[in-house]
Amino acid sequence: MAEIVLRSVCFDYSSAVPVFREPGITLALPQAAIALIGENGAGKTTLTKLLNGLLRPRTGSVVVAGTPVAERSVAQMAPVIGYAFQNPDDQLFERTVRDEVAFGPRVMGRPRETVQAAVDRALDLCGLAGQASTHPHDLVLAERKWVTIASALAADPPVVVLDEPTLGQDWAGRERLRALVRALGGQGRLVLVVTHDIDFVAQACDWTVVLTRGLVRYSGRTALAFADEGRMEEAGLELPAGTRLARALGADPAPVGDEAFAAWYRVRPA
Amino acid sequence: MTPVIAMAAARYRYPETDHDALGPVDLAIGPGEWVGVVGPTNAGKSTLCYVIIGLAPQFFGGRLRGEVSVFGSPTASQPVNERSRRAGLLFQNPFTQLSGARERVDEEVAFGPEAHGLPQAEVEERVAEALRLTGLQDLRARHPLDLSGGQLQRLALAALLAMRPELLLLDEPTSQLDPAGSRALFDVLRGLHAAGTTIVMVEHRLEAVAAMCPRVIALGEGRLLADGAPAEVFNRPEVQASAGIPAFARLAALVGKGPPLPVTFESAVEALRG
Repeated sequence: MAEIVLRSVCFDYSSAVPVFREPGITLALPQAAIALIGENGAGKTTLTKLLNGLLRPRTGSVVVAGTPVAERSVAQMAPVIGYAFQNPDDQLFERTVRDEVAFGPRVMGRPRETVQAAVDRALDLCGLAGQASTHPHDLVLAERKWVTIASALAADPPVVVLDEPTLGQDWAGRERLRALVRALGGQGRLVLVVTHDIDFVAQACDWTVVLTRGLVRYSGRTALAFADEGRMEEAGLELPAGTRLARALGADPAPVGDEAFAAWYRVRPA
Repeated sequence: MTPVIAMAAARYRYPETDHDALGPVDLAIGPGEWVGVVGPTNAGKSTLCYVIIGLAPQFFGGRLRGEVSVFGSPTASQPVNERSRRAGLLFQNPFTQLSGARERVDEEVAFGPEAHGLPQAEVEERVAEALRLTGLQDLRARHPLDLSGGQLQRLALAALLAMRPELLLLDEPTSQLDPAGSRALFDVLRGLHAAGTTIVMVEHRLEAVAAMCPRVIALGEGRLLADGAPAEVFNRPEVQASAGIPAFARLAALVGKGPPLPVTFESAVEALRG
């Protein structure tokens, strides 16, 4: 069963700036690590905010993990969908990293020991175990970003949205993120990653959605997402490094992801 | 020739901290150079920008020791707003850059030139040029807060370009841009570089640094780990262990090529063809 289902979803911030026009977005996403890619202003962040009720569609329906979003408040959606904002400063307000990460499960009324254990696990996964008592604003951007990711995970939701998680991440942070996204996808969760980092998509995500000017141009296996060069160009996207390199070396179709690249290179025709 | 940036045994410590965020650093950057700055989180990359532009210590407080000169003047004795005629910093978070006082994109871009008292005709010419370079013409009447993250980053750059700085400091300028936006930004930087602008660019996308910057400095724990051409710097084990490795070098290593590893697309194609 699909974990996220959108049917004919139309949305605009004002009539002058429509984001999703008629006939609207229709999309079904499986439990997997999913990349949401597309040019600036394509509607990526808007789409994710419709999933937890921060924004409400003008027409159409959104169902997340079996829950019709229209019937729930944002707070009621919180146990279902964890959300890490693009700009961490829009989200952080507690005095310590631990309190910040504990906020969600605490206000959901979960028992103290459960919250404690969930927070410890989330901090550990996000490399923040040593900074539990630090004030979030004493952290640099990349670390504040990790606090928002830990907060999204702490309530143990079946769906997790990460908006531009690679932003400001150094190499080690990016590796940690890749492992985390793969692990979440492998655990039968749906983790939706909004990103411009195509190389990250190739390495971490099984499924890719390409959004261009408010339209879904592709939704399917990442391995096939980069096959249509015209579509990629229209979406203002580039190919992952390995795909680009293999193509220049004569691969057709070109492999996607490091393992596929290495496998292709080993048996490439001379 | 007088360097644009000269640092000698420069050390900086933020207020209420017990260690130097930067330094000791010795560094000279000449006119027209394009230098990439790489390194892990907390290596001191943003701090280096703040020290050069003078925000550290003039805005952040804390203590600066050693010598830092920009255009031959010690930063300690020159007000930041005086330097902002010649040098500009693009912040990592574009929200930080907004004046907050303007309600249209074009008015925001005009803010700097107007604050420096330029004649109205010149302000308009500069605003038009900056909007064109950053591809924001169609959004000129929008409210800055209605822009997406990537559009906001382009607005912050446009506001800087309108000042026509001789020295441009960029702290992760493409972090919120889509690939087309990144390419457009790099085209703008290539043009500015060709016209003689000195550019210092903090960037995590090592492929981009390797492809464009003739010189790279790698920072680690506030100090210079390496300083040289990309092909040399990115092959240093201590740089690979901290800043990481460009994607094409990673792929080459994966199939048993190198050392030395190719660090750009072109050199990787060459190395893997054999």
